[in-house]
Amino acid sequence: MTNEDPTIPAGVDTARVAQFRDEIDSLKLKGGSAEGEKRLLALGVVLMVVGLVLAIYGAIEVGLQGDFPAQQRAYTAQGSLLGIAFVIVGGALFVRYSLARYLRFWLIRSSYEERANADRIVAAIEHAAGPLDAPVQREITGVPAAPNQLP
Amino acid sequence: MTQPLLELRGVRAAYGTIEVLHGIDLVVLPGQVVALLGPNGAGKTTTLAVASGQLEPTSGQLMVAGRDVTGISPDELARRGLTTIPEGKGIFPNLTVRENLVMATYAGVSLSKVEEVAYGQFPRLKERRTQVAGTMSGGEQQMLAMARGLAVEPAVLLLDELSMGLAPLVVEELYGIVAQIARTGTSILVVEQFARTVLGVADLAAIMVNGTIRQVGPPAEVERELSAAYLGG
Repeated sequence: MTNEDPTIPAGVDTARVAQFRDEIDSLKLKGGSAEGEKRLLALGVVLMVVGLVLAIYGAIEVGLQGDFPAQQRAYTAQGSLLGIAFVIVGGALFVRYSLARYLRFWLIRSSYEERANADRIVAAIEHAAGPLDAPVQREITGVPAAPNQLP
Repeated sequence: MTQPLLELRGVRAAYGTIEVLHGIDLVVLPGQVVALLGPNGAGKTTTLAVASGQLEPTSGQLMVAGRDVTGISPDELARRGLTTIPEGKGIFPNLTVRENLVMATYAGVSLSKVEEVAYGQFPRLKERRTQVAGTMSGGEQQMLAMARGLAVEPAVLLLDELSMGLAPLVVEELYGIVAQIARTGTSILVVEQFARTVLGVADLAAIMVNGTIRQVGPPAEVERELSAAYLGG
């Protein structure tokens, strides 16, 4: 904004700015999503490890309690089945959040490469035919256009 | 007294263990254009990353519309009207101009509204709407990046190195448009390394060196100090 010709002087709230303030006021703030994702990823790993330990412990105890079917059932339920459930939930969390991170990096990388490729192609075209935004001279008198200009 | 729309209070930020901002204080009032100038590596882009919510400060506060929103996700801010136009023409080069504008409808703005704003502000884009964006000139690509940002009617606009790689005449044209936008009451924080053109449209300028703000003041006053800051004086 130039100070010589201000339509709306600096420091004055327009309707849009007032709306912006209202929307920011009504925001429900929570922590950064990146931190939450990291925590859930770590939780997934912990659940997988704990689940695996529980499942192995349950299986060993089931083997050792050969004469006591009631205790075998208890170890199967509390050890093996709970452990397997932990492994499944932990694995799902791990895949979900590590995949999200991977795909995010892949998207950024892909955008960056596409831009670099487009710049390279444009540079090659300009090198061969002259700048793309140079004035175009069409052939009007039978004399061909200069080689560095697009037809 | 008017409450600032954007404010950084004692912001420190780091990439891993390397701290790049060492306590930044910056205020942008409604409808004000603030130019943040400084040499390469001063921390200007990092300051914008903090201001837009893309980088969480290690200490200090990000205040938007008078509210402490430190740690907010950038898309929350963008949806509400804090728009960033990144360095290096943030467009999709393999998509056409129109397809790039479709990408601006994420915030719930209709395509017809996006096109109306974009083509109204930059008539040249209308002529090129079916052209692949990456094959346009640098200035036109920057116009497209700006059009996409403006289409969502931002309340605060963050511009990163608008002049990068562009001819002086094109830079002048783009800053003419920035001045027009500011006249509608939009607050603008613009980061520049070289272009003194920005000082012509700014209300306030700041020089940033080595992660700290060395001077803040009227553009004419700051311009006199620029060379010394760049040359390490």
